[in-house]
Amino acid sequence: MVMTTQVREDVVTAEPPRSAGRRRSRRRTYLWSYVYLAPMMVLLLAFIVYPIVASLGYTFYKWDGIGDPSEFVGLANFRQIVHDSIFWRSLGHTFVYAAFVVPVQLVLALALALVLNNKRLRFASFYRTLFFLPVVTSAAVIGVVIQLLVSNFGDSINTLLLNLHLVHQHIDWLGDPHFALAIIILVGIWHTFGYNLVYFLAGLQTIPDELYEAARLDGAGRFATFWYITIPMLRAVGVVIVILAVIGTFQIFDLVQVLTSGGPYFATEVVNTYIYHLAFGGSNANAVQPDIGLASAASFIYGLLLIGFSVVQVIVLRSLARRRGA
Amino acid sequence: MSSPISRRSLLRGAAALAGAGALAGCSSGNDAEGSKAKTTITYWDWYASQAGWVDNEIKLFQQAHPDVIVKKTTQVSDKYADLVSLAYRSNNPPDILMVPKSPQLSQQVSQDWLLPVDKWATKSWQSRFPSNSFVEGVDVFGGKVYTAPFAALAPSLQLYVHHGVFKDAGLTNEDGSAKLPKTWDDVTAAAEAIASKSGGKVAPFGFGNSTNTTLAWWLDLFVRGAGSPGGAAVGGIDGMDYRTGQWTFGSDRNYLDVVNLLLEWKNKNWFYPNSMSISDEQARAFFERGRFGMTVGGVWNQPEWSQHKFTDYSLVTLPSPAGDPKALFYGPPGGRFVAVSSKSTHTDEAWAWFDWLYSADAGKRWVEQGQGLSVYAKNNDPKGVSFAPFAQYVAMSGTAVVGPQPAIRNPKVSAVQLAAVKPDINDVLAGIYTGQIKDPQGALTELEGKTNQALADAIKKAPGVSAKDFTFADWELTKPYTTKPGA
Repeated sequence: MVMTTQVREDVVTAEPPRSAGRRRSRRRTYLWSYVYLAPMMVLLLAFIVYPIVASLGYTFYKWDGIGDPSEFVGLANFRQIVHDSIFWRSLGHTFVYAAFVVPVQLVLALALALVLNNKRLRFASFYRTLFFLPVVTSAAVIGVVIQLLVSNFGDSINTLLLNLHLVHQHIDWLGDPHFALAIIILVGIWHTFGYNLVYFLAGLQTIPDELYEAARLDGAGRFATFWYITIPMLRAVGVVIVILAVIGTFQIFDLVQVLTSGGPYFATEVVNTYIYHLAFGGSNANAVQPDIGLASAASFIYGLLLIGFSVVQVIVLRSLARRRGA
Repeated sequence: MSSPISRRSLLRGAAALAGAGALAGCSSGNDAEGSKAKTTITYWDWYASQAGWVDNEIKLFQQAHPDVIVKKTTQVSDKYADLVSLAYRSNNPPDILMVPKSPQLSQQVSQDWLLPVDKWATKSWQSRFPSNSFVEGVDVFGGKVYTAPFAALAPSLQLYVHHGVFKDAGLTNEDGSAKLPKTWDDVTAAAEAIASKSGGKVAPFGFGNSTNTTLAWWLDLFVRGAGSPGGAAVGGIDGMDYRTGQWTFGSDRNYLDVVNLLLEWKNKNWFYPNSMSISDEQARAFFERGRFGMTVGGVWNQPEWSQHKFTDYSLVTLPSPAGDPKALFYGPPGGRFVAVSSKSTHTDEAWAWFDWLYSADAGKRWVEQGQGLSVYAKNNDPKGVSFAPFAQYVAMSGTAVVGPQPAIRNPKVSAVQLAAVKPDINDVLAGIYTGQIKDPQGALTELEGKTNQALADAIKKAPGVSAKDFTFADWELTKPYTTKPGA
């Protein structure tokens, strides 16, 4: 401790006084940083910040998206959303989806990452690619294929289950409200767990081998090594993975839209498909008046709920980290 | 380090590529061929199963108009309205398009989406159509013509019967032909026979409700037969019982009767088990393969089955409790098909394609190919139709007649913008069918209340419109109705 302080003091005293030229040079360096950041900031402002601000204005209008909004309705859209049982049902489905997908995905991803991180495993790159493949496959394509699989081969699966006396009647996997959300959850776990796998792998590869060697010399077993070295060393990256996974699951849209479009009778409706259906009508959109104002109000309320949830999540994770640190 | 490609040859190559790109760019709007420039017009529709007819018309049109190229884009039917709206918002609509069902045509006109075609659609041009084809509030707005009728009124839904399945179940007449059901009891009896004779291997009924629309077709077809003229249409002011100017989902007993009938069939496992999750297209393919014996659909089923050489089926429409339908299918006089975009820069060419599509010859080919009925009566002779199922369809054209038209009585009705009511009849049916709604009568009554309230709210916002504009107490359900302006 003392030594470190001394070294730092040395460094500070050894540093020559800042000249005007040096400051200019540093400013130039910073300027370039801003230049590099500028395209991203422009895109962020254009495609994230502006739509959020613009849609806030729409929340006060009844507007079908054609022409300019003119029918001012005040807070009526917010009242309608808050009193709409389908909105709360959709929110419930979104939380159920997240509650199942995040923990299952994280446990699976960590387990597979541990296996793939084994230096003695042959063809590790091949397996890594294999597990990451679903991530780079379009959710729409996955949805269509799964839909075809369960509709065309659903009969065979049902026959097998019936013969094994596991079910007593044919199941319409995506058309039965008792099973449709479960199928979406299963597909969701499979589709994006490659991300978490890669993140965990990256995290595992930052853990110095020396720590494991030292633990082995001290007689630690595999479980102890995992519990006292791997888990603590992964904590920082783990927090980020959890936050990203939760955010990702709350954005679920495409899989639901393609597989069930929120049906049957809203049994799989999540908030994003609910908002989409309000904005553009249902699947029978050619006959239903869309309501951009209502959809914007729903988005705004959902945004607020997510911000609140994220704040709680960060507070909980920080306090957990602090408690463990102490 | 020397490069295998010299700087000069690299620059030469780049210049050649740039030149080729420039030439390609020039050819996208006006295709230069020889000395005569071609004009490309863009055309949008949602005709997937009718694509064969459209493509053939484009071919014939281009032969007759060698200086015009029609670039067709077929959009997904259930997203067509959104895509058209987005195209206008981005100021990039097609030159000519099938008129989307939403927003209302009056709104499309007021938003300046469409071009009045009076310049070309003169009185003499209009005279080729049957009388009363151009009606204010239907295809004419503010005295200007925007579109025109293409097809004659026809039954929009039919019950399709698979001959093979029927024959295997012993459902045949003395001459060996399939015994077609006429009443609700006939349909139930046929279903019972199919279920028992096939040992459960073939489902009596099937549909594809993945888009949440087809279950309502069953209600629509059966409830009309029982005498409820509103059927199960969704959106706009369709689906109303114009005798009272109200929706009657909860107060008209027929709706609950049909729902109970469907539930009874479902509880006996008579519907193909995956019906709620497969698409209409998949259901069509499964019917073709004989996985179920009866399905409800429209004439659009037929071209695809014909392509697959599947012709072993018949169709009936409006099965009713006693055999005689008490209500029919209704439509307006006049009609809508395509319109020219106000943003088009090739209006003469777009009109030429518009005119071609509305020609009697194109209509004749439409009927000959089994796509539907033509607005020109001379094209609709069942004797001239060799394909038996389509001849059956042509012969049942009497089950569709002109119904009351509030917009003709009071053109200000066009301004009535009905807010979407959710859950709608499609949702309610799906909820009942899947057991999520335990009280069908309660759900239907709630839907009726919400829909009528939406109408009342919309009327309040439309100046010069009252609830009386929607009431036609003298309407006889089995006869064509002539709506008089102002009456």
